[in-house]
Amino acid sequence: MAKGFDIDHLAKLARLQLSAEEKALYSNQLSQVLTYFETLARADLPPAANVAQVIEESALRADIPGQSLGVEAVTKIAPASRDGQISVPRVVDDES
Amino acid sequence: MSESPWEIVIGLEVHVQLRTRTKVFASAPWGFGEEPNEQVDPVVLGLPGTLPVVNRVAVEQAILFGLVVEATIPERCAWDRKNYFYPDNPKNYQLTQKDFPVTLGGQVEIELPGPSRNVMGEHKMIRLHHAHLEEDVGKLSHSGSGSLVDYNRAGVPLLEIVTEPDLRSAAEAAAFLNALVTMLTQAGVADCDMEKGQLRCDANVSVRRRGDTQLGTRTETKNLNSISGVRDCIQYEAARQIRELEEGRKITQETRGWNAVNARGYVLRDKEDAHDYRYFPDPDIPTLKIARATVERLQKLVPERPFHRQRRYMEKLGLPYTVTSVLIADKALADWFEAAAAAYPQNPSGIANWVANDLLRDLSAATSAPDAFSEPSVAKVSLVDCRIKPAQLAGLVKITDEGVISKQQAKEVFAEMFRTGQDAGEIVNAKGLRQNSDAGELEKIIQEVIADPAVAKSIAEYRAGNEKAINALKGPIMKRTQGKANPAMIDQLLRKHLG
Repeated sequence: MAKGFDIDHLAKLARLQLSAEEKALYSNQLSQVLTYFETLARADLPPAANVAQVIEESALRADIPGQSLGVEAVTKIAPASRDGQISVPRVVDDES
Repeated sequence: MSESPWEIVIGLEVHVQLRTRTKVFASAPWGFGEEPNEQVDPVVLGLPGTLPVVNRVAVEQAILFGLVVEATIPERCAWDRKNYFYPDNPKNYQLTQKDFPVTLGGQVEIELPGPSRNVMGEHKMIRLHHAHLEEDVGKLSHSGSGSLVDYNRAGVPLLEIVTEPDLRSAAEAAAFLNALVTMLTQAGVADCDMEKGQLRCDANVSVRRRGDTQLGTRTETKNLNSISGVRDCIQYEAARQIRELEEGRKITQETRGWNAVNARGYVLRDKEDAHDYRYFPDPDIPTLKIARATVERLQKLVPERPFHRQRRYMEKLGLPYTVTSVLIADKALADWFEAAAAAYPQNPSGIANWVANDLLRDLSAATSAPDAFSEPSVAKVSLVDCRIKPAQLAGLVKITDEGVISKQQAKEVFAEMFRTGQDAGEIVNAKGLRQNSDAGELEKIIQEVIADPAVAKSIAEYRAGNEKAINALKGPIMKRTQGKANPAMIDQLLRKHLG
């Protein structure tokens, strides 16, 4: 296992099925990427604020309703739909 | 009940839909009861090229909540992406606040059930950890081989209120939710209609031997959607954990579901990696600076806290506990009472009794079924349509106190006021209800009644020292005045004549 990550775990999170060769290949590449961050971390830089951008409340949106797409437009861009709802493979996390 | 050797430790995560017209990061409208997918726009779906923009009212409602519970409002808050793949979530991430929530800390005062309805229960402060502003997710329904997705709920502003593990029983958890709902609704932050899914709760439960300082392994039961569900689930889960430990097994840290129909908990199929949400700061929504001027402006909107109001009623106005608990449960009702009491400050108790009993009863009868959320003790009523105005009730109490009408007549006048909205005085005059306080006329009637041989025996008894015998004379007198005589005056005159 490469330092700092578990390729099996990452593959699972990303919903990827990797062969043994691919695992070896990507582990190696990912290690190189992470090693490069170590190089970056060694760079001698002046201290900077943590936040890149802060907005004031004036950038907030008034609570005024806008347009909805409409159910036809929504279901049209979905791979499958039924009765105005988007149809997906059965997902269950209730008692079974 | 003997004390159990086990202590139950509970923390709640309460998800509340905030009262706004549009979604938290999109201007699509939301509301209950629309056709599926009618309240969806490109931002809600996270279509390419769209950007979320934060709803000002949602932020202000969240801050107002923080002020209501005496939380700290930080200088800045920020949003993060919580990544997970599930069809209730159109973007594959939920926008939430992980490291910089909109409120920090705070507390909610709760009242535990007292020994009886008339006796105040123990009060306790429940600390809050924080509250963060996030977006709700879509709704899934399962049918046959597939699932159907409705994104109307996706993007609805959701405030997640997280307590410290301060609750020690199912009853405390229920009391906490009741207190929280009262504060949220009275501040206008949320409607908390559980029937419409506007308030949902996750319960973290663990048990430990009394005296232990370390917390036991906890489980989290998700998506409880009623206060009774929370209560039942905690009782079930605590009993299950105690049984496991007593039988020498260990508690597994797990996510559980609750089946309200058969009152049983179950392990949710995990998803063992789902806890790795790979949070990172959302690059589309910059950190928000919260101006102190905004906090000060919202501070002025914080209503008096219910238990504060109750103590004021009991201590300053001398109202009994039972009446105050009815009044403080409904801000509009309490405000109405205060307006009436201000119009006639001599008798706040008298006014409070009319409000908490007669007015509330007639309003409940006049309005439709109580709100689905309400616990049976407190029916939600609409004072907006009430024909009686506070000053008019004050007027009724005043003329009753002055003896112009009797208490019995006052009931009749009240019913008429409720129906017509007329002043008490007008009704009294129109119906000729004025109590007869004309001593001359009353004296004549009394003389006639005591001259009647039928009451001679009672008179003799009274004169012989039987105080109660005098009451036998009052009935015929009252009858001859058609109930209009002032009872105190009858008593006084009778004694004079028999004396």
